[in-house]
Amino acid sequence: MASKHKILIVDDDADFAEAIASFLEANGYQVLQARDGSEGLRIAKAERPDLVLMDVMMRERTEGFFTIQEMRRRPELKDIPVFVLTSIYSQVPGFRITPEASWLAHDAFFAKPVNPAELLEKIRQFLDRPSAKEVNS
Amino acid sequence: MKVLRLAKDKLDLFASVLQQFGEVHAPVRQGEKFAFRRLSRWSEACLDYQRTILPPKKYFLPQRDTLFEYKEGQGYVPVIESADRRIILFGVHPCDIYGLNILDMVFTGKYVDPYYQARRKSIAIIGIDCTPDEHCFCRSMRADFVDHGFDLFFKDLGDRYQVLVGTALGDDMVLATGPLFEPATKEDFEEYKRRSSEKRKAFKLDVEIRDLPEIFEMEYDSTLWRELGERCLSCGSCSMVCPTCYCYDVVDEVRLGSREGRRTRSWDSCLFSTHALVAGGENFREGRPARIKFRYYHKQRGFVAEYGRPSCVGCGRCISACPVKIDISEVINKLRGMENVTA
Repeated sequence: MASKHKILIVDDDADFAEAIASFLEANGYQVLQARDGSEGLRIAKAERPDLVLMDVMMRERTEGFFTIQEMRRRPELKDIPVFVLTSIYSQVPGFRITPEASWLAHDAFFAKPVNPAELLEKIRQFLDRPSAKEVNS
Repeated sequence: MKVLRLAKDKLDLFASVLQQFGEVHAPVRQGEKFAFRRLSRWSEACLDYQRTILPPKKYFLPQRDTLFEYKEGQGYVPVIESADRRIILFGVHPCDIYGLNILDMVFTGKYVDPYYQARRKSIAIIGIDCTPDEHCFCRSMRADFVDHGFDLFFKDLGDRYQVLVGTALGDDMVLATGPLFEPATKEDFEEYKRRSSEKRKAFKLDVEIRDLPEIFEMEYDSTLWRELGERCLSCGSCSMVCPTCYCYDVVDEVRLGSREGRRTRSWDSCLFSTHALVAGGENFREGRPARIKFRYYHKQRGFVAEYGRPSCVGCGRCISACPVKIDISEVINKLRGMENVTA
């Protein structure tokens, strides 16, 4: 059941995070929010979300990249799927992340502005699989 | 050697992408000083630093290292702790890279140390140029410039870096970042030459090392050793912070009530009173004058005979760490009869 899944949004843009949170809550998900990478790690450790939606450019331009690496290093967080939601392409001309970028250790990538329907579809692919909860618990 | 340029405002992006090659470690502020640590965010990195408290040696020759474990019925179980941990040391100064090149002579030369060698293979080095302070004399020790021992080397050119690619791994790092790097220009080369000349002038300490082994030979019975021995506390700080001091002690730790244990090694210092203590209670360097003399003779004379150069790289750590302010540059100048000589 989707209603049992917890999604953590890590984004310093409160308006964007709130809009996505409302949309996800309306679709039956429980949503948590953090405004930077450190808070995101703290909440992830305490709440063990089923999925993290990670912004990249927060207090620092590459904060999301480093936060994902930190998650992957911590045994209790390393298996949580992470979707990257970022506007870095429009902010840093020429910088591109290849779809197979293993260094980013992410599960999906969305360039902002994000199409909510596409995001929801991807979330469902990850979380509404029969085994997703067991894998991440 | 491939020479490229990277705009400074792209360095954080480069460091992010670099994480595919391992954990990124860099100098991080620790109070008034600096220490190499793993970064949890890019802003923790202080690339415009003086020296770190401990040199990068700590990654390759940890303060305490398990060599193997042993158990009844199983015999010896080889252990090389964290050998598969891939690390990128970002921001290593030329003198410290030179220090690692010297450790290579010791640990990967005639007798190969598998623990050191395994870590040398799993740790990448990204060097960065620096500005000398009042304790630096790396230029005197010919360690202010390195042409090998790094995967990439960054030279500050103001709003950009000139980047030397030293190895195939370094080249892979550059390629993995896509269009961040650009070919260096003639303008970059001119700026590099200008800054290189400025750096040469910035050195305040100069130590003449040519004919130093001969001077040491002549001054073996100098009263200076007794004077230094009376000041020295035998704390071993100079050895601990030295990029090239590699003495270690080996201990068997048997678990009480069992038939198993492990053999460990940990940093030692020739300044410690037990360093030359052998079975039977004989101590070849019982007094502090003999021990401090030994340290100087090993670094400046014995190492030259064995490897063709002193093992000192002029990083200045022993000067800044000594609680009684014993200064190697002053010691050498006194031996030469050139007290209070500065560049």
